[in-house]
This record gives sequence, structure tokens and C-alpha cells, in this order.
Amino acid sequence: MSDTLLGIFSWDFIGSVIRVTTPILLAAMGALVANLAGSPNIALEGTMLMSAFIGVIVSGFTQNLWLALFAGVLSGITMSLVLAFFALKMKTDIILAAIALNIFSTGGTIFFLSTLTGDKGSSASVNSLVFPNIDLPLIKDIPVLGEILSGHHIITYVAIVLIFVMQYVLYHTPLGLRIRAVGENPDAAESVGISVNKTRLIALIISGTLTSLGGLFLSMGYVSWFARDMTAGRGFIALAAQALGGVSAFGVALGALLFGFAEALSYSLQFLKVPYEFTQSLPFIITIAVLAFYAYIRLPQNVKRRGAQSGETRNGRLFQRVWEYFSRRAGIRKGVDS
Amino acid sequence: MKKVLLISLLLVVAVVGLAQFKVAILINGTLGDKSFFDSAARGAQMINKELGISVRLIEMGYNPVEWEPTLEDISDSGDYELVIVGTWQMVDVLARVAPMYPDVKYIIFDTDMDYSTGKLGNVNSITYKQNEGSFLAGALAALVSKSTILDNNLPDKKVIGLLGGMDIPVINDFLIGYIEGALYIDKDMKVALSYVGSWNDPAKGKEFTLSMYRQSADVVFAVAGETGNGVLEAAKEAKRWGIGVDSDMQLIYEAKDMDIVNHTLTSMLKNVDFSLLRAVKLYKEGKLTFGKNDELGLKEDAVGLAKNPYYEALLALDPTMKAKLEQIEKDIIDGKIIVGTAIGMNNADLDKIRNAVKP
Repeated sequence: MSDTLLGIFSWDFIGSVIRVTTPILLAAMGALVANLAGSPNIALEGTMLMSAFIGVIVSGFTQNLWLALFAGVLSGITMSLVLAFFALKMKTDIILAAIALNIFSTGGTIFFLSTLTGDKGSSASVNSLVFPNIDLPLIKDIPVLGEILSGHHIITYVAIVLIFVMQYVLYHTPLGLRIRAVGENPDAAESVGISVNKTRLIALIISGTLTSLGGLFLSMGYVSWFARDMTAGRGFIALAAQALGGVSAFGVALGALLFGFAEALSYSLQFLKVPYEFTQSLPFIITIAVLAFYAYIRLPQNVKRRGAQSGETRNGRLFQRVWEYFSRRAGIRKGVDS
Repeated sequence: MKKVLLISLLLVVAVVGLAQFKVAILINGTLGDKSFFDSAARGAQMINKELGISVRLIEMGYNPVEWEPTLEDISDSGDYELVIVGTWQMVDVLARVAPMYPDVKYIIFDTDMDYSTGKLGNVNSITYKQNEGSFLAGALAALVSKSTILDNNLPDKKVIGLLGGMDIPVINDFLIGYIEGALYIDKDMKVALSYVGSWNDPAKGKEFTLSMYRQSADVVFAVAGETGNGVLEAAKEAKRWGIGVDSDMQLIYEAKDMDIVNHTLTSMLKNVDFSLLRAVKLYKEGKLTFGKNDELGLKEDAVGLAKNPYYEALLALDPTMKAKLEQIEKDIIDGKIIVGTAIGMNNADLDKIRNAVKP
């Protein structure tokens, strides 16, 4: 028993949390940018899958990491451009276009994989490369801190830096202001000369870039090959992490971290004498609990304000408020409103 | 002269054409699973090469809606005397279609059928004793875990692990064999167990495995499809051992990453290919009995450890281990060791066994 607890709360466990969090974090930041611009990107899953695939294939055939990085990111941007073309230019529903892209990625990656390697399951036979883990000089020699901070995957460090970059870009630059303005009220933004489509296009491209890094991490770091459907729902979990984290990059990072922590905890808890069904559902239980708690804290002002406006009693509308709160967070109502 | 030649040629063609029946293999998925579908495809090649029978292999894809019409079309066409399908997902479909075409014979692999209805007189099913192969894997894992000759283990801890795809009878059948094999070597062996709940998430498989290595498991047996490949990656990273399943993982990875090959002991194979070849051969000789299930194990070469050069080289390091494993294999084949099975076992008994070996 003590061995098990030791296993859960060891430095390795923190490493595990960080590995699980990285792809979710990158995709969640991708979701954030797109959501703020009012063009929710639920093609994250497909984008990650495509980049994971392209990265492995390009590195396998060229044996060049930089080319693989370039191609992987480019494939993520391409996915976003296709989404933008259909949603912004051709005015299709952005959710439907994204679903189509996700399906395309699932089938497309398998098709190209079998065309190129003759294998429909995984790229295990392709001699592809991986991005390295990085030992931070100086820091790695500090006893405890070094073990926690050093030796992670390079994309993990990039992701951490990107949290701050994204927060800065979104809240301290003209571009960020435009993105938020376009998302908040497109008509008002248009009236002061901001091109809504152009801004949303930029937001989607940023979203695709961030997400593609998450995909590259999966196939060129976490494991060293591409397997069909290997994203396994991480793109959708990222959407939830973004919904949880709200509108700031820091919040989103915390949301992703919560998912990562809950997931990693469920791996380790398997060894205690608890039923497997429970440990497997633990990440989702924790998420729902935190969401509910978070919503509860925020609720009073919300209910008061809205209640006063509509003149309804507080308790009678409580559930509707909660529902509206969640759906607004999840961006579900965005489509209905606009 | 020309006429005679032509006629004799026609005769030969006619005789061959009449004598040879045709076989169709329908796969309810796609090739490339590195598991029994690919193995079935190898079986098709063997049947073609060794028996000279033409085999048509059809990939029906993963959409269950398409399976029944495809099976009906193939049965209805009259071109195929023998139709082969596989996996438990096809059981209901076959149970509906087979009685409609009594002239067609069916073989279904990797699952049993319910013959008590009396309507399946034209069906032969093949199940594999994965518990026998897993017994060997468990014995090997325990021997490696205790070994003082081999590296990458913790000899004093006596813990091994198994990564399962889901908590279902087939996977638990692997587990029971694995546990019994380990306990056969040493009564005190502990078996850490994880179910991932997914067949296509190698990253998660890797994470689960690393977590088992942290529980001081030396060897982890991957029984989780594509997810299980994460075990081998984890073994490489944590410098411990992994055992693959269904396909010979070492031969798959040897072109790509020798570190993975060198941290994999061997793979436990389900030889769908041999079993199909055997069934078609028996059918050709008129010896295949329909309306019943054939359970194939080590004896029929339907399951077993992959004896590739890497595995042989590993055993060469420790002759006593090699002798022990060969003895066990012989004992199972001779019926001296009877391996338990999880098929038909109730949950309470299963839990008892699982909890008894928890580290």
C-alpha cells in the first residue's frame, strides 16, 4: 500500500501529469483563440490527427526534424484554412464543416498511410524521428526542482512558453483586441472597420498551428509512430478544458492541467483496491465536480442580475441559469445567437 | 495435333475448375491491425500456396451495418463453397445468414457459436486457447523477473504486469493463463493489472505501463491491440521488458527501432493463419466436422510464443530458463498441465484471482 502511494506521489507522477496535459493544453489554447474570435474550431481532433500523421511520414521519408515540424504545422494550418474557406467564405455552418474535417482526417490518414506504407494500422514500420527531450542546464542539477522541471519533451516547454505568449497576444496587442471584438460583437467590429472574416481567418490559423503542435507531440514524442485514430478524443477533451478554463490562456492552462492530473491519477489509482470502472470514470467525475463547483461560485451575481432584469424569482430559474451558463461556456449557444 | 492440344488443355482447365472449390474470407474491419485480420490474410496466402485453392479476401470495413448484406451477397452468389468470417462481432450476423444458405459452408474464427438451436449445421467455429499461450508468457515473465542473469529487471520484487484493452472475457482469459503461468514458476509472484478501456490509444497504453513499472513490475504483457504498442515504447524508456501480442512485434519494429526490439521478450501469437489453413485442409479432405466448435491450442500450433531470433538469443543466455519453458510447453501439449480459463467464469471468482495476486 505504501508502495502504491509512493508511486502516486512520486516525481514520476508529475512527469506523467505533464505528458498527459501537453497535447490537451496545446489543443485547448487552439480552441480558445478560435472561440474568442467567434468561430469555434471543433476540428481540433482532426487537425491533431493529421499533423501527427504528416509529421511522422515526413520525418520518415526525409529524416529531417525541421522539415517534419514545418510540414506538421503546415498541415494543421491547411486544415484551418479549409475550415475557414467553408465556414467564412462559403458560409456553411462551422460546426458541420469541422465535423466533416474530423471524419476526413480519420479516413484520410488511414488511406494515405496504407498508400505510402501498405499498412492500415500504424506506421511502426516507418523509421520516423522523434523530437528530443530537453535537459535544462543548471536547473537540472537542483535536487528536487531539477527533477520536476528538467528533462521534459521540447514541445512541452514550447507549450508552456506559448501560454504566456497567447495571453499576451490576446490581451495586450491590437490583434488580440480585434479577435475578441469580432467574437464579442461582429457588427460593432465591422462598423469600426475591422474585417470580421480576416480576423477570424487569422484566429483559425493560430488555432491550427497550436493544435498541430499537440498532434506532433503525440506521434513524435509521446510515442514514436503514428497509429490510426491515435488522438483518441483528446481534441474533444481539449474543447472541454477550454470551456472549463474560460477566456484567459492561464485559465485554459489550468483547465488542461486539471484534466491531465485527473487522468494521470486514474492511471495510478488502478493499483489500489478500487474497482476499475471507478478509476476509469474518475477524470470525468473530477471534471464535472470542478465544473459544478466553479459554476456554483459564479452563480449568485449571475442569477441576481438576470433575475432583476426579467423579474423572475431566483429559485424558479436556477436550473435554466445553470444550463445557460454551461452552454455559454461550451460555446453551444454561439451558433444560435448569431 | 493442335486440336488435341486444345482439347486436352480445355479438359485440364475444366477438371481443375470443377475440382477446385473457392473460398471467401470476409474481414469485418480492415487489414493492418497487426493482429488477427492480418493473420487471416496470411492464412489466405498459405491456403492459396499450399493447397492451390483460390481465396478471395474482402475487407468489409468497420461499419457493422455493411457486414450482413455483404455476407448475404457472397453466400448468394454461389461462387464460394466455403465462407470464412471472424470475431465475436460476426456471431449474430452469421447465426441469421447461415441457415438461409444450407449449401454454403461457413467457418468462423476466434469465437464460439450457439449450436443448441440446431440451425447451424453448416458452421464450424474455431476458438483459440489464448490461456495456454499466456501461461507460457506468464512463466517466461516470472522467470525473467526473477532472473539474476538478465538485465532490466528487479529480481527481489517479484512483480510482473498485464495491460488489458478492456475488462472482457477474452482478455481475462489471457490474464488467467498469465497469472497461472507466473504462479507455476513462483507461488509468490504478484501480477499488476491495468485495463485501458481503449484499443487505439498507444499514448495512454504507454502511460499505464510506466505506472506499472513504477509499481516495480519488470515485465508487462500487452493485450490491448494498438494500445498495447505503448507498452513496448514504455519498456524502452523505463528500461524494463514488454511482451507483445497477436503479431510478432519484434519483427515489425526491427527496421525502425532496435531499442524497442531489445526490450521486448517475445510476442504471444494467435495463429489465425495456421488455424485457417488447417481447417480448409481438413475440409478439402472431407474431415472437417460442421455444427461444432474446435478449440485449438498449443498442440495445434494455434497459439504460442514467437520463436524469432531475438527470443532464441535471449533464451541462449539462460539455458535453465530455456529448458524450463520447453518442459512447460511439452507438459501443456501432453495435458500434464491444465490451464484454467476465464471464459464462462463468474465475476466473483475472477475478482478473487485478480485480487490474490495484486502487488
